[in-house]
Amino acid sequence: MEWCVHIAGPSDLDAEPALARFATLETSGKLHDSVRRAAESVAAAFGDVRFSRCAFGNEFCEHLTPEPGAVAAAAGAAAAREMGFTLLTPYVSDAGLARLRGIFHILDDAEVVFNDWGVLNLLRREFPHLTPVQGRLLNKSLRDPRVMGIYGDSQAATAAAAATLTALQRSNADCESYTALLARFGVRDVEMDNLPQGMDLGFAERGVRLAVYLPFGFIATSRVCMAAGLHYRKADKFQPGAPCRHECQSHLLEYSYTNSPFGNRDQKFWLKGNSYFYLHTEPMLASLFDHARSGHIARMVFQPRIPMGLS
Amino acid sequence: MKILAPIRALDELEMLADAGAEELFCGIVPREWQDRYTGAVWLNRRAPVGGSLETWMEMRELADSAHRRKLPVFVTLNAPYYTADQLPLVLELARRLSEECGVDALIVTDVNLMSRLSEEKLNAKLHVSSVAASLNTEAIRFLLNFGPSRVILPRSLTLAEIGELARALAGAVELEVFMLNDGCAFEEGYCATTHHHSVGAFCTSLSEMEADFEWHAPVFTNRRRNWLKRNLADYREWVWYLNGNGCGATPKGLPYGPCGLCAIPDLQRIGVASLKIVGREASAFKKMASVRMVRDIVDRTRSGASKLQVIERARSLRDQPEHCNAGYMCYYKVEGGP
Repeated sequence: MEWCVHIAGPSDLDAEPALARFATLETSGKLHDSVRRAAESVAAAFGDVRFSRCAFGNEFCEHLTPEPGAVAAAAGAAAAREMGFTLLTPYVSDAGLARLRGIFHILDDAEVVFNDWGVLNLLRREFPHLTPVQGRLLNKSLRDPRVMGIYGDSQAATAAAAATLTALQRSNADCESYTALLARFGVRDVEMDNLPQGMDLGFAERGVRLAVYLPFGFIATSRVCMAAGLHYRKADKFQPGAPCRHECQSHLLEYSYTNSPFGNRDQKFWLKGNSYFYLHTEPMLASLFDHARSGHIARMVFQPRIPMGLS
Repeated sequence: MKILAPIRALDELEMLADAGAEELFCGIVPREWQDRYTGAVWLNRRAPVGGSLETWMEMRELADSAHRRKLPVFVTLNAPYYTADQLPLVLELARRLSEECGVDALIVTDVNLMSRLSEEKLNAKLHVSSVAASLNTEAIRFLLNFGPSRVILPRSLTLAEIGELARALAGAVELEVFMLNDGCAFEEGYCATTHHHSVGAFCTSLSEMEADFEWHAPVFTNRRRNWLKRNLADYREWVWYLNGNGCGATPKGLPYGPCGLCAIPDLQRIGVASLKIVGREASAFKKMASVRMVRDIVDRTRSGASKLQVIERARSLRDQPEHCNAGYMCYYKVEGGP
């Protein structure tokens, strides 16, 4: 199994790419301990993992797409460390797609994670030398942490409850016709989140190469950004795709599920910019590591920071 | 430019047709699905009971009756994905809807289902659901591989972006846009949450949760904290508008909720094919009132009323200028609008 680290820039690779160092990079007091604990769990399960690949870029917001020069610098740092390079891309408007085109032009040989069918179409037509990877936003499993963990913990007492849990633990990748369709479009690698309700990864036995992110899972994302509203007058706030000043970089919003109808009122979610995230629990990490040991996962992508940084 | 209305039962047909609907869409959740799963797995983006038809007889009667009124009927098969266990059932459902019931189009999100249906060569056309998140020209070009006749654009596209898409696609596929009633704080195709009744929509649930800011700089002054809190309050107000002003109605009983009436002249100029009214599960009265409002503005636009006249009429129809003025009830920002 390959290990990949999501870097914020070339300086993340200035020193040896070691898990213990990456575990210290998250500066948020609300997130730091969780990232560190996840790293410790990884080390306990897999020992001194070797990162042979790095990811760079953003999956959620076209306004956080790095400049071509920053991508070139990150790719250069990866090459200097003899690491593979993966560019992460978000869902995009036509304007965002035009920016990506400028970046793709400077990449000689890299993976590009697409989270938008338009990005795949562009890659296939104009940049066939780049390797497309289906991103986790195009994996359509529900992963609502408010309730999916409760389904996962249930005993699935009836046939309907068992069938429901099975359906929720699968995704579009479950269908052989889907992965065959992806292959027709040159896509053989898919990414996903570790699901709060557990995962059925039987599809990986068909030869699909699967990458899973940790320790942050994505909940929802939007073209309307709360943080971007900070500099608009009230009536003009919350317009889709509105230009911003990267206000998201100044703060984090932590929600507590205080209105839960269940027992999970201490559960937390985090909003950074236009996207909400959950963090893996210890049982989720244990389940993920079991899948890894069983050979279903080809790559783990460790994200030392909540994945909304400006590169 | 047609008016597309939601329908849940045959007995709503006459009312919707008389109010001015020109196309209809609905869902069907057959008994077999309801027996197989609990209410947590949705066939068509609505809870299994209450938002859809349930029997083939109802479906056939609805399609036949609508066709006698020259109204096409589109049916949603728009879950974000179907598993290998589900796909045979959904494909059979599609075949029966097309070949037995004669429905005119199937509304699909999952590219796998789109691909499979394109191979089936059914009589029913394919419409790409808004949940497929067709946000750019290249995404639509990709989806054209599967032969859809129409793409339903996500709510989050601006008028300028819709115009650019229409120009770039040059009529290769019809475009449908949202017109009335239902908002979504997130990008619908990139929201991995459930609206299950046990927890409700994530966006509205968030508005009731405790929220704590962390400032990523040395000094988090009270001024900055208040600035963030004010913005959060504004955001929660925006979500309230998206949610039909807290699921409310005007004193005259007209529906609240996101609205694109002022944009109809621009959408006609752009060449949009259809205006979608959301709310399969809504009351019959809400559907009728919604269709009447849209029909009023479409008729004025078709008869050549000026954009400003249309905007003035739209605001008077909404009858709640303070909500229009808030700027949070609009699907589209329109020059000359609120």
